[in-house]
Amino acid sequence: MSPALLEMRGISKSYGPVHANIGIDLTVEAGSIVGLLGENGSGKSTLMKILFGMVQPDQGAIVFKNKELAPGSPRDALRAGIGMIHQHFTLVNGMTVAENVMLALGEAGFWLDRKGVAARITELSRGYGLGLDPESTVEDLPLGMRQRVEIVKALMREADLLVLDEPTSILSPPEVEGLIGVMRKLKGNGRAIIFITHKLGEVLSVCDEVVVLRDGKVSGRTPVAGATREGLAHMMVGRTLAEPPRRAARAPGRERLVARDLSANDAAGLPRLQQSSFALRGGEILALAGIDGNGQAELCDTLAGLTPALSGSITLDGVDVTAWTSSALLAAGLAYIPADRSGTSLVQAMSIADNLALRDIARPPFSHYGWLDRKGARGLVDARTREFDVRMAGSDAAIGTLSGGNQQKVVLAREIGRDPGVLIAFQPTWGLDPGATRFVIDTILALRDRGGAVLYISSELEEVLSVGDRIGVISEGRIVGVTDRADVDMVKLGLLMAGHHANIPAAA
Amino acid sequence: MTASTTIAPARWPAWRGSVALRVVQSIGLSFVITDLLILIAGKNPLAAYEQIVLGAFGSWARIVVGLNKAAPYMLAGIGVALCFRGNVANMGAEGQIAIGGLAASIFALTCAGALGAATLPFAMLAGALGGVVWAAIAAVIHLARGVHEVLVTLMMNFIAWLVVAEILHGPLGEIDAGFPQTPMFERVAWLPKLIARSDLHIGILIAVLAAIAAHIVLWQTVTGFRWRLAGASDKASHYAGGSRARSVFSLMAVSGVLSGAAGAIEVLGVHYRLIEGFSLGFGFNAIAIALLATLKPLWVIPAALFFAFLETGALSMQRQIGIPSSLVLVIQGLSLIFVLCAVGRGARKV
Repeated sequence: MSPALLEMRGISKSYGPVHANIGIDLTVEAGSIVGLLGENGSGKSTLMKILFGMVQPDQGAIVFKNKELAPGSPRDALRAGIGMIHQHFTLVNGMTVAENVMLALGEAGFWLDRKGVAARITELSRGYGLGLDPESTVEDLPLGMRQRVEIVKALMREADLLVLDEPTSILSPPEVEGLIGVMRKLKGNGRAIIFITHKLGEVLSVCDEVVVLRDGKVSGRTPVAGATREGLAHMMVGRTLAEPPRRAARAPGRERLVARDLSANDAAGLPRLQQSSFALRGGEILALAGIDGNGQAELCDTLAGLTPALSGSITLDGVDVTAWTSSALLAAGLAYIPADRSGTSLVQAMSIADNLALRDIARPPFSHYGWLDRKGARGLVDARTREFDVRMAGSDAAIGTLSGGNQQKVVLAREIGRDPGVLIAFQPTWGLDPGATRFVIDTILALRDRGGAVLYISSELEEVLSVGDRIGVISEGRIVGVTDRADVDMVKLGLLMAGHHANIPAAA
Repeated sequence: MTASTTIAPARWPAWRGSVALRVVQSIGLSFVITDLLILIAGKNPLAAYEQIVLGAFGSWARIVVGLNKAAPYMLAGIGVALCFRGNVANMGAEGQIAIGGLAASIFALTCAGALGAATLPFAMLAGALGGVVWAAIAAVIHLARGVHEVLVTLMMNFIAWLVVAEILHGPLGEIDAGFPQTPMFERVAWLPKLIARSDLHIGILIAVLAAIAAHIVLWQTVTGFRWRLAGASDKASHYAGGSRARSVFSLMAVSGVLSGAAGAIEVLGVHYRLIEGFSLGFGFNAIAIALLATLKPLWVIPAALFFAFLETGALSMQRQIGIPSSLVLVIQGLSLIFVLCAVGRGARKV
């Protein structure tokens, strides 16, 4: 047997009392794809940061192509031929593909070799079926193509090992298919890939071997042949994932939130939401699938009163609320869970108690006549954190000390704890592990069972399908193809998400 | 483009201990470096410090000078600290102090006869309002036209100086004084003394009360919560129903009141007249003081006292042993830099 391309031996890393990695071994053969699975906080990103030299391990060695890599040196890792494709791209939007690749080459010398680089990109693009034009500007490219620019950057640096960090989270189903094709071709050429993901289906379809991390340790490794979804999920969470969420059968109630021909611009003044309409009833969840950046953010912000509508109308319980402020809408029973936890729905440097009070601070029990009442609010804070199972040392700790799942529970405790009539939930499970995802979905389903109306927007198709009573797609700023969950046509849904809705009338 | 663009301060040894301890260590460090400078100049650092201490605390009269100097620093410093906390980079205390002094002077000179004993409170009010108007102009330009607040507030300072100079050279100037200043105010407009038969006026008391009030507002009221929220995250503040316009206006208004009052106290309590350049540098010192206090209103009290006593002591040192008083600027600057390094980003609770 030939020696492995990469061997990580006994990697350990602690951050204070937290053991991020404990004696992890990882072996990757040339020409193979290894799936790295694990919940958030299981140690995947720490391990990859150590591999890439961004973090220095406390213990352990990395042997790449039979040579030991200097720990803590990204330059060494790059030069040795390890390429990392991050979830967030490191591209300059205003530059062309070729220029971006040249930036990455770094040691190209003083004179730019535009033609040579462009020719090489074209060659690689043809070889791997990437379909990249070196002269196109990055900002004109869809996200899937930008990701390919990152792949080309790594290939131009002669990377033999590519690390793909959750590469499919931003892609539409056809784009995912395309990426998987590219990965297979890379593998066919003898390159190795570490594929980090949450999605079990993708692991099974493309990987040769799976390594599962849990609590900083390898909890299982198995060849993909013979592995099952259930088996992998069990290794990941230490328990078999429960059945799809159950819901009480109930007839939808009266119309709560109605949007008519709503249009809105983004912060840069570009039209993002175009004449969207829907009607949401009490006791139902309208779930919208769609690729990120198709007007979801503008729809949510406009409904919540954070961005003004350009045209169209919004009614809440029969009252025209189009021009209402977010505070007035909140008081009228409209709750909103934004997608961004790091700076919008939560303030990392503030305490858990303050974050619970964030949008209700001007009301009792959080304050009386403008004076904060921390003692008076204590009872409510304790009750909410208990009810929503927030695991914490105390409510005075900064929210940044909590895991992502517990942070989102604080948001749920604030927005759903108010028992709102209408909830807008935008990517509420983004970046959460399966356990926390389940908690979020169950909580939202419980609100629906109590008669609440929920608009649920996510780019995770599976989630939309399992949560919604009615399913639709938001694509290019329009809400299209809304149907009952029983009548969902997957092919049509996929086409709509990919923007093929020329002949389909906007539905509501 | 590569991971090497990530800055990793974590590899440096962390500066341990409470924030208060780190501030004291930083100031100590700045003195050590100043020692070296004095030695290079061929003088004895110990003698220099002896003169500074004697100059600052050597007699009751000297202490009074320091306390009176600290009052406007403190008031303006509190305003700057609150603004910085709310993510409003207000560089305009300097101009607000000048206009506050001007407004108080105009009021004291023109209305003293008519109002009698009520002159003083109204003159103080005029000073505060002058500061608010000056701050509001900057806020409007910033919000309506999107000009960065640092630029607007900074430029308004120069305009304020020139407005004061223009008025002193023109309508309000004392005839035959030989210096651009107004005639002396009538006694009804003088700030009362804190201690009879001394020069110590009630400014320091007002300033300390203002620091306590600012602390309470910041931590115990909904307004303070919204300011802290605006400082922590624009997006979260918007989501929670706040707006940039509201936080900029309210914070600039508070800064205007405090800085305007600082200017009024200086003219009504120390000079009893408006003099060209009466507050030169006060507003910029206030920025340094707010930062030295790590933007905590209560900590502005010792920070302002430190700056004030250092300055009064330095003048005496220059007189006695010939070391230039600008050495104090070195100490002020170094201690500020060290404090900023020691406290770092993110150490502050929101």
